[in-house]
Amino acid sequence: MKNWIMRGRCWKFGDNVGIDGDMMPLEFAIKRETDPAVLGPYLMTGLDPDFPKKVQPGDIIVAGKRFAQGNPHIQGLIGISAHRLGLVVESIPRGSYRNAINAGVAFLPGCAGVTSQVDSGEDIEVNFETGLFINHSRGVRRQYTPLDASQLAIIAAGGWRAQLEARVARILGQVKE
Amino acid sequence: MGQTLAEKIFSRACGRQVNQGDIVYPEPDLITTHDWYVVNFDKVLQELGLNRLHAPHKLLISTDHEPVATSPLAAQRQRQVREIVRKYGIEHFYDVGRGGHGHVFPMEKGFIRPGMFVIAYDIHVTNYGALGCMGVPVVTEISEVLACGNVWMKVPHTVRVNLVGQLGPGITIRDVAQKLISVIDVDDADYSAFEFGGPGLASVDFAGRQVLCNTPIEIGAKTAFIEPDQQTLDYLSSRTNEPIALIKSDADAIYHCVIEFDLGLVEPQVAMPPTPDNVVGVSKVAGKKIQHAFIGSCAAPGISELAIAASILEGRRIHPDVRFFLTPSTYEVMSEATALGYMQIFVDAGVSVTAPGCGVCAGGKIGAMADGEVSINTGTRNDFGRLGAMKSEIYLASAATVAASAVAGEITDPRVYLLKAHKMQDAQ
Repeated sequence: MKNWIMRGRCWKFGDNVGIDGDMMPLEFAIKRETDPAVLGPYLMTGLDPDFPKKVQPGDIIVAGKRFAQGNPHIQGLIGISAHRLGLVVESIPRGSYRNAINAGVAFLPGCAGVTSQVDSGEDIEVNFETGLFINHSRGVRRQYTPLDASQLAIIAAGGWRAQLEARVARILGQVKE
Repeated sequence: MGQTLAEKIFSRACGRQVNQGDIVYPEPDLITTHDWYVVNFDKVLQELGLNRLHAPHKLLISTDHEPVATSPLAAQRQRQVREIVRKYGIEHFYDVGRGGHGHVFPMEKGFIRPGMFVIAYDIHVTNYGALGCMGVPVVTEISEVLACGNVWMKVPHTVRVNLVGQLGPGITIRDVAQKLISVIDVDDADYSAFEFGGPGLASVDFAGRQVLCNTPIEIGAKTAFIEPDQQTLDYLSSRTNEPIALIKSDADAIYHCVIEFDLGLVEPQVAMPPTPDNVVGVSKVAGKKIQHAFIGSCAAPGISELAIAASILEGRRIHPDVRFFLTPSTYEVMSEATALGYMQIFVDAGVSVTAPGCGVCAGGKIGAMADGEVSINTGTRNDFGRLGAMKSEIYLASAATVAASAVAGEITDPRVYLLKAHKMQDAQ
């Protein structure tokens, strides 16, 4: 079973963070680059050039409305997955919502007002299975609606491609259940 | 508690009652892809060790993005597509010269009926909403649908749009559709189903209904459809023998929001670069010189667009500084336009008519633009670089505005030409 609880530093962003440019240089989408090792060093560099050097696994991005907006390229979400960061957003447009699941990112998608509860650097904890959000630095707890179990299963498998391989393997009878 | 039309369609496709917000694995009635993704999905299936599709009889493939191969590479890809079609035993394959635009001809050929659920590789599958069918796009996950039969979906909330009033002279449904997506809050539109109804819908023809369903996807909707009505029955009566049910939302269904929208706009609308919802009245951009014009794409799918263009172009010539491409969406539309005499008008005016399909809108593979050029066209999107050069500008408008602008050599209010045409008819 995957451990759905993450505790780490908060990295806070505002509304309308763009998938192309803000989160990841557009050139990687054009090249259809999907290697996490290539994309990780460029994550969020459109907004903070040192971001990839500062974050560590278990840290959590907290952002406002329409996070990852724009033409729904997956590269920025793969960048988050590459650093094994969690993601808590006030809203995320449809295409990026699917891409976050497909990239295997643990996230909470509809956390109204969450950016008013945190600041960058604060100690936060999120249970992505139950939707419980805790800001230890402020002693704040909030309950949000988590993703569906079937979506968490895709994330736990490592994203869309990995779960598809497992699903097809079951169809082909290569896995004994 | 009642259900929305979207909830009803999802419930049937899931075999149980489901509600907005639920995560489900619905079984599509039909799956569509176009010529540019067939090789890709075949590659994924091969990597997965599969040599068959879950349901080849449900898959419809259209050669619409590049029917006229523009390079040896494109010709090679067409050959690969034909081999893949044979390999998987795909019966519904509409190759070059057969159907035309894959978001349009399946309706003409009776594949699409009210209440159906279609999954497609390509976002504008929502055109099928013109017949009360729910088309939902996916991207890479189409491979999962083809391999396993379905993929997860969230049952959408519904934005209900009640159309009221009537179109003014020289105003088209494209103007209405552009204006509508520019005034709706993107947070309401995100992940929603747009459902069009209201007393004004009866006056919107089949092509106009496609246009209404085509545009909401640009502001984040998941799907769009009209509430099927008598016009739906009339359209389908000669095209299918399958039973047709006029499925509707229940009276006590819960909508996310209800919008009343008046068809009586005061002036034609133009979307400025770089997004389709960056919309202004034509008077704001009138006078902008153009070098490129295009009528076609799934956002101008019907004979009505060609009719209004012909009424403007009859007896006139395209401005010497402008090249004008026109792509009938399907062979049926092209045939009708020929019978009605429009093709002769286009030829006489200096329009370059291309093979049915997506035309210039498919990334500018044909009729591309150069740096510094300005286009006015009926395509779906106007991102920088959409039709070739990154430093070209694309303005989106109705077929009437495009035709009038092509004659004038600059962005022009079409009512000047249309009212003259009407006066001439009255005089005769």
